[in-house]
Amino acid sequence: MTTTATSTGPQTGVTLYSFTNAWLNRKFELDGLLKEVARRGMGPNIEIIGFQNFREFPDVSDEFAEQFKQMMAEAGLNATSCAINSDRFLRPGAQPIDDATLVEYHKRQLRSAKKMGFSLVRYQFALPVELLPEIAPYAEELDIRMGVEVHAPMWAGHPAVQAYGEMYDKLNTPYLGWIPDFGGTASRIPESMLNAARAKGAKESLLDKLKEVWVEPGMSHEKAGRLREWALKEGHEPDHIQAASLAFFILSNHDPKSWAALVDRTIHIHGKFYGMGDDGREEAIDYETILPLFRDGGFTGTLVSEWEGHAYLPDDGFEQVEKHQAMCRRIFARH
Amino acid sequence: MLPVERIIGEEGLSATPEGLRLAMRLPWYRSLPFSIVEIDSVHIDGAPVDLSDAKVEFDGSVWPLKDLGEQINAFWFVRDSAFLHIPGQHAEPGSEHEVALSLFISPPYIPGMKRANIQTQTLRVA
Repeated sequence: MTTTATSTGPQTGVTLYSFTNAWLNRKFELDGLLKEVARRGMGPNIEIIGFQNFREFPDVSDEFAEQFKQMMAEAGLNATSCAINSDRFLRPGAQPIDDATLVEYHKRQLRSAKKMGFSLVRYQFALPVELLPEIAPYAEELDIRMGVEVHAPMWAGHPAVQAYGEMYDKLNTPYLGWIPDFGGTASRIPESMLNAARAKGAKESLLDKLKEVWVEPGMSHEKAGRLREWALKEGHEPDHIQAASLAFFILSNHDPKSWAALVDRTIHIHGKFYGMGDDGREEAIDYETILPLFRDGGFTGTLVSEWEGHAYLPDDGFEQVEKHQAMCRRIFARH
Repeated sequence: MLPVERIIGEEGLSATPEGLRLAMRLPWYRSLPFSIVEIDSVHIDGAPVDLSDAKVEFDGSVWPLKDLGEQINAFWFVRDSAFLHIPGQHAEPGSEHEVALSLFISPPYIPGMKRANIQTQTLRVA
C-alpha cells in the first residue's frame, strides 16, 4: 500500500551548508539566501551553521536575534537546527583550551541558538564525553535539545559513539540525542569526486588504488597515509594524491544498516550527499536501505539535505538539493 | 579555484600612506579564530616581501602579524576579507603586479590538521 507521509512522519528540509559556494562567493546575503530556499520550496525546516552564516557567532546580540527571527518569519521558514562547534585547539601545536572554557564556549553557543529561535543544536564529539553532565542541565534549563553528529569516520559501532551512548543512558534526558550523518556509511566513493580528481590530472591507477585502500579496515588517516606512501613511490603528483585522499576524510564505508542501533535517540538527520544520478538515486550512499530504518523506527524529526559536492565542485547546489529532497520524500512516503 | 580555496580577497591590492594593503579570504567553510591562521609568505612580482612589521586588520581591529596566534577570541567571519598591511612597500595606483600569497590554517576542532593554501593572482593597485 502506498500513502503519503503525514505531518507526524519524517520531514525534509535543508542545511544552508549545501549552498557554501554561493555563500562564499557573496552571491546572496543571508535574507536573500533564506528567501531563495523558501522560493524553491526547500523548507520550511532548515539548519544553519552558526559560524558560517552569523557574523556575531558565538555571541549573538539581542538585536541580531530579532532581525534573524524577522527574516525567518518573512521567508516562512523554521529555525530547526543550529550547528555549533567544539573548538578546543585554539592554539595550534599547544594544549587545548581548559575544560571550564570549553563548557562555557558551548553555553555561549546554546544561548545564541536559543535566542534566535532554534529548537535544537548539532554538537561534536570533540567535546569530551565527561563534560556532558556539566552542559546537559544547561540545555534543559534553556529548553533546547542537543544532538551529537555521528560523522565519518564515526558510525554506530565506533567506541566514541558507545561511550556517548553510555553517558546518555546515565543522564537519561530527552534533551540529548544523535544526529546521524550518512557519510559514515557510504557504499562507494562518489563518481563525481573521482571525476574531480581526474579533472586535476589524477591517473586511473591512483584512483584504482584509492578505491582498494578505502574499503580496507583501519583508521582513515592511516589509510590516507598508506595511499600516499604507495602513490609517491609510484610517482604520482602530490596534488593528485591530495585530491584523491579527500575521500578518506569525508566518507567511510560502514554498514548502512548499522544506523538501526541509533534510531531511538535520533533527533535530527544530516542527509549527506554528493550527487544525484538520473535514476533518482544518490551516487555513493544507499538511501533505499538507510531511510526505511528511520521511517519505520518512528523518527518524526527533520532530515536536512546536505550537499557536500562543494568540497570539489563549483556548482551552487540548488538543483542537487531539489533532486535529493524528492528522493527522500519518495522513500519516506512508501510504506 | 573553488570558493573554499580562495585566499586573495575581492578587494585586491591597494596603496596606503604606509605601504600596501592586501585583501585576504579565509579558505574554509566557516568562521575561525585568527589564532589558527598563519600567514606564511607574500611575493610581489616574484620577490619575497618582508612581513616583520606587517599588521592584520579586521572589522575595526588591528594586530601585529607576529601576534596573530594570540587572537583566540577574534573570529574571522568567513564572508569577509581581512587586510594585510605591509609597510615600506610601494606600488603606483593603476599598476599591475603578480601577487602570491601563502597561508596555513589549522581548524580548531580537528587536532593535527594543517592545511596549506597558495594563490597567485595579477592585481591592479587601487
